[in-house]
Formats: sequence, C-alpha cells, structure tokens
Amino acid sequence: MNTLRLAFLYGVFFSRILSAENTELGSTIPDLKIKLLDGSTTTIHTLVEEGPLMIDFWATWCVPCKKVMKYLDQYHHDYEEQGFKVLMINQDTPRSLSKVKSYVRAQDYQFFVGLDPNKTIARKLNGMVMPTLILVDKGGKVKWRHQGFIPGEEVEINNQIKLLLE
Amino acid sequence: MKKILLFFMACSLLMASDLDMNAAINASYGNSYDFYTFSENRLDMNFFYNDLQGWIQYEYSNPPDVGFPLNDIRKFRVEYMAENFLFKLGDIYEFWGRGLLLNQFDDQVTNFDNGTRGLYLEYNRGPLSLSHINGNSNMWGMGADLRVPFFNNIHSMTANRLHYDWNSLSFGLTHLQSNEEHDKMSGPSAKVNHKLKGIYGSWLAGNADLFVEYVDKVSTEKISLFGTIPNDSLKTGHGIYGNLNLYLGNWGLSTEYKRYAFDAAHGDLTANDYGNQIEYQQTPTLGKEHNSTLLGRLTHNYNFNDERGVQVELNGSLLGLSVSAQYAHLSRNENWQSVTSYDWEERAFDSYLPSSDNSALPYWENYQEISGYTLNDRLYFKLGRGTNKEILKTTRYLHDGTQMDRSINAFWAYDTTDTVLFGTEYQIIDSAEVFDTSFSDPYNVESKLWQQSKAFTIPMEVNYIFDNGYTFGIGFQYQERKKVNKSMGNSTGYSAGDSAWTMFNPDDYSETYNTTTTQLSNSDGSVDTQYNRLIYVSISKAPKWSFTITHDWTNAYDASTPIDPYYNPLEALIYGDLKYFTGDRDNIDPPSFIQNRWVSFELAYNVTSSQRLSVMYGSIQGGLFCSNGICRLIPPFNDGLKISYSASF
Repeated sequence: MNTLRLAFLYGVFFSRILSAENTELGSTIPDLKIKLLDGSTTTIHTLVEEGPLMIDFWATWCVPCKKVMKYLDQYHHDYEEQGFKVLMINQDTPRSLSKVKSYVRAQDYQFFVGLDPNKTIARKLNGMVMPTLILVDKGGKVKWRHQGFIPGEEVEINNQIKLLLE
Repeated sequence: MKKILLFFMACSLLMASDLDMNAAINASYGNSYDFYTFSENRLDMNFFYNDLQGWIQYEYSNPPDVGFPLNDIRKFRVEYMAENFLFKLGDIYEFWGRGLLLNQFDDQVTNFDNGTRGLYLEYNRGPLSLSHINGNSNMWGMGADLRVPFFNNIHSMTANRLHYDWNSLSFGLTHLQSNEEHDKMSGPSAKVNHKLKGIYGSWLAGNADLFVEYVDKVSTEKISLFGTIPNDSLKTGHGIYGNLNLYLGNWGLSTEYKRYAFDAAHGDLTANDYGNQIEYQQTPTLGKEHNSTLLGRLTHNYNFNDERGVQVELNGSLLGLSVSAQYAHLSRNENWQSVTSYDWEERAFDSYLPSSDNSALPYWENYQEISGYTLNDRLYFKLGRGTNKEILKTTRYLHDGTQMDRSINAFWAYDTTDTVLFGTEYQIIDSAEVFDTSFSDPYNVESKLWQQSKAFTIPMEVNYIFDNGYTFGIGFQYQERKKVNKSMGNSTGYSAGDSAWTMFNPDDYSETYNTTTTQLSNSDGSVDTQYNRLIYVSISKAPKWSFTITHDWTNAYDASTPIDPYYNPLEALIYGDLKYFTGDRDNIDPPSFIQNRWVSFELAYNVTSSQRLSVMYGSIQGGLFCSNGICRLIPPFNDGLKISYSASF
C-alpha cells in the first residue's frame, strides 16, 4: 500500500513536470516574508516589482556559495538600472549567525541579504542544497533553477539573466 | 489524517489551475564491502494557494543512512495567513532569539529533529507580535549503534513569545514548558517537567549591533504515582549569550560571549543525566564552523550545560582578497581540585571569562584564512591555518594541596616456636600500635594527571578556469596532532588505604616528575604524532560535470587500528600497482602501501540545471561528522558505491 502511495505521488509529480510548458514549471513564486540583514522586512513580490530577481541560498561555511557570491554581486550591480536584484538568503544557524553581517560588510557586497536560520524559506523554495539559484521574472514566475556551483558556471548564470532582461 | 491530507493535495494539484507548487526529490543509495547499505528517497512538495500554504514530505528509506526505515509521510504542514494572523498545523519549526530557549530544525544528515507536531498561532499588530506553540515532539538520540537511534525522549510542550520592535531596538519575552518522558540507559523512563523563561533584546546601528539573551530553567521530576507528594526539584540553571559586532569600512569585528550553566550538578553526560539542557535549546557554540575535512574532525565536544567562553572573529578585505582571523577560548564554569581520588571540590573563578586552568577543561582554537580571485578572476585560492588545543579530561588534579605525616610505632610479639605452618614468618601472637601524636611539618603536595590534544592544520585549495570552460582544482590539507596523557607533581596519586597522597620520592618530597605518554598508536605500536593528509584533485566542465579524486591518509589512531578489508581497483590504479591488474595480487591481504589510506572518486553530472546526479566509489574514513552544530560519529565506508540524485522544480 505504501509503495502504491509513493508511486502515486511520484506519478503526480512527474505528470505535472511533463505537462508543464518547460522544465521550470513557470510557477509563481510565493510571496514569502523575509527579514533582511539590516533589520528591515520585505517580501519576494515586493522585490520583483521593478524587475527580475535572482535568489540564492548560502552560508558562511559554504565554499562554493562564497565563490559564486562575487559574481552575483557583480550582476546585481551591472543590471541594477534594469531593475534586476539579487537576494542572498543566508542559512547560518545560531552557531555562526553572528558572523554573517561581518562577512558581508567585509566583502562590501551590495545585494540584499535575507536571514533564514531555521530554513523555513529554504524549505518552501526547495533551497536546502547550497548554493541553489532561482531566477524569477518581473511578474514573479520562476524561470530558471540551478543547484551547486562549478567554477565557470557564472557565464551560464549571466546568460540566463541577460536572456530574461531582453 | 495523513491519507486525507495526501488525497487532498494530490487532487488539488491535478485540478486547481491557480495552485502553485514546487517539489524536490532527493534519492541516495549506498552499498559497501562491509554491508554498509542504505537506500533513501525523499519527496518534498510545497503548495501555495492564495493565503494557504502546504508542505508534505514523503520518505521511502529501507534502511536510511542513519535512522529508522520508513515508508510513509514523514512531515507535513498547512499554513494559513490572514491579515494579522498566521496559523500553522503540522510539523512546526521555530527559532526565537538565538536559540537559548527554542531553536528547532530537522537535520537529516545527523538525524537530529527537535520539531513539534502540533499547532502554531501568531498574531501581529504593528510592532507587536505574539506567538504560541502547542504540540508533541518525539526526539531520538544515538546509542551504541552508529546508525540506528536508541534513546527516545518524548516531549509535550507549550511555548509562548512576545516580540516588540521599536525603531532599531527589538525585545522579546519567551516561555517554554515541557513534560518529558526521558529514556534512561536502563529501567523505566523518567517523568520530568521543564520550565524555561527567557528575555532577549537587540540593537542595530550603522556601525555596530548588539544582541543579548538570558534564559532561566527549572526542572522537576515526578517520583510518585500519587498526586499528594510534591515533585522533586531536580535541576536549576541559566544561560547567557551576548554578541557585539563592530564595523569600520570593509572590516567587521564579531565578538561573542556565553555562559551556560543549565546543570550545576555536573552530570555524567549520558542518558541518565537529565533535567538539564533539553533538545529545544540549540544554543550558539562559539566555535568556528569549518569547511575543511580535517579541521571538522577536531570539533570540540561542546558542553551545553556547563561551559562559558568568548569568540572573536575579524573579517575584512585586503588588496581585493578576503581575510579572516578567529580566536575562541572556552572552559567549564569552575575550576576543580582533587580532594581524594574520587572526591573533587569546585572553585569559582574570579572573573566572568573562561579559565585556562586545566581542571576547567579549557579549549582554545584560532584560525586564519585568506582567499580570493586573482589573474583576471581565473584563479581562485584559499589558504588557512588552524590550531586547536583541548584538555579532554582530568583524572586527578591537586595543585596546591598540603598534608602532614604522622609516625606509627608498632610493637609485635611473635610465636617463634611455630615453624611448621609459618616457616620463618612467625605467627603474631600479640600486637600494639602507638600513634605518635606529633605530626611532621606540613608540606606541599601536587599531583596532576590529565589528557590533552593539540593540533595544527593547514587547509589550502586552488582552482584555475581555462578559456575552454574546463576548471582544474587541487586541494591539500595537512594536519599534525598529538594526544597525550600528562602527569606531574611530587605525588603519584591518592592512597585510599593510607588516606593520604603517596609521594613520588618518600625520602625527598621536593622531588617531582613530569611525564608525557602518547595516546596514539598504529599496528607497530605507540606513535607520538599523528599526521593526516588529505589531497583532492578535480576537473570540471561548467555547467555539466565535475570529477574529483580524494586521497585521505593517516599514520595513527586514537583507538585500535582498523583493518582495510579489501584492495580495490581504484587504489591499485592510484598507486600504479600492475600486479593487481595482472592477477598477481591477493585482494584479501592488501599490500602495506595501501594501509591507512582511503581513496575515492566522485563524478557529479548536471542532467539539467535543476537535476544533479552524483556517483561515488571508494572508501571514506569514518569519524566525527558535524553539521549545523550537531555532531555524530559516522562509521567508515569501505570499498563501496554511493549514488545520489537530487532535483528541484
């Protein structure tokens, strides 16, 4: 019975994927509330009002996350005039939470940094693997997802952003 | 309930046009030479429909890497948001303050889950927020088996929070009460009530921010089945945590202080030691979260019931490179001195800072790292340096004791006629002891025996990106580690028979000894220094694949030397052992050059941008593995295959 239940769930899952117009599903990202590093609060839909948004999940102890951050901050700056933003959602637990702001300030990163210490947002957006990149268009539709970072992938990330901005 | 929920979600998914969803699959399979087999499949689905959100996690694991086999819905939650209200039903994970009272998370890697199955209600009005949780938690702890949990603690809990934001200031009042059925090592479980009250506050400014939290805890134990007898007050304690960050330009200084004293009784850190810190309290540790394998294995065994400490970390940029320097010093809350071999007395510190006295089991770590991109962003490098020193245990610790000798005059009368039974050792027929009441002058006694470990580690990594999209990377980690028993003083220990400290030289009390004995060994005997070396070489082609070969080597162990059970072709290939491929090598009796080494490769392939397949073959050394501050001992994985697939949509 349990096996049938699992098969049913997988069946529903894959039928949904196959019936979608593209592999990204094109679903609308939920309007989640996010606490930012500066103490203020915003929502994802607020951030996508002016243009596309790249969401990335990271932690201070995640080396691939740190490698890609430099490029994401660059893209945040390069495409700022077109309304593009980067939101880095941090998953450091209380063990290392105190060092997040110190690290971001030290690198002089200008992108938005959200805090998600008990992975509530990561769970809802399937960002449990770090880094996970989610590119959302101005209307809030998910256009591209990517897990992990291999050096050189920054080119693909840049291409996806440019594709969306065209 | 679960079937209804499943049916509801599946039907909604198929029929509702304005329902948004996302999903993720994580599947992994492993099998090794020594029967380390696991098969885990998890499907996470999130549903969003206007103000309604749903999450369901289905797991089919038989058996999982760690935990119990499961073929059912593992987690679920439904959330509804109205104008001022947030309502959650199902598996609740909340995080208040910095976790001194409540920090819930589900870490499947270490099999730690302190979530509550119940309801959550939140009311928001302007800067004011009120939260309430009510439900049950079923928490499991590991026993002797490294993969199957043994101890089960069941909590029925209620928690409340009042949070208020006022400009750059925030305040919170928290409360948690739990009735716990605590699994002991043997016998019936203990019924314990925990009451926690907390307060926290934070202040955010342009160049500084501050956070302070205090929690008070009282636990009582129900010892009578009848309600007429009051419950025993079991343990009381408190915890304080403070964090001050300062920023200047591109530099940030993070300072932290902790003092956790949830158990003044200083228990034995087994399941029989209860009533102190509970699983909901996942507090800051004040240790560095390392991403280097060798430094990760040195993680300090944090004591959340009796430990204080400071941590300072400086982060900055220098010539476009990222620079970081960290220092931490932790210790118990009191110094201790041996009165006898089994009796200890505590001595309070003069300050609020941690102690450096060995009897307080101090721990020091410092780590420096420089990393960044150079050569037009083609070369990434990371170079670190870490040192750790820890007093692991003290067996005896008397450092400023005094004692006096007294002489005993004994008079014996012997029966010299009885030589049949006693030979030349004549039978005593009368005796008398006369104590000399004039004692000797008091003299100093010092007797110390403790175990300590000390390590020095250098992790480094370099990646170079070529024009054609290929990346070559190499990483190397080097570690020197000593683990010794140290003893010193002018006394070799306490004699229970004489009720006195035994002097090293009975004729000269000023004569001292100072010995160091290594606790590391291998198949050849004792080893003074453990050398660990880990090297990994990777080749990748973005955005499709990456291939990594890892070689881990050591020369000594804390416990008995493990036996490498099988010689595999990957090891033969790495060492260029032609005999293996020509069939001249006995695979069951591996050659000496492969002993104490673990070789593995991993191929990761991005099927699409959101689907990743990974294949690992080889051996992985077991040992301490830490994630999210939770550590567990993982068994070695010998000559096996691991396949994992992850996808998110």
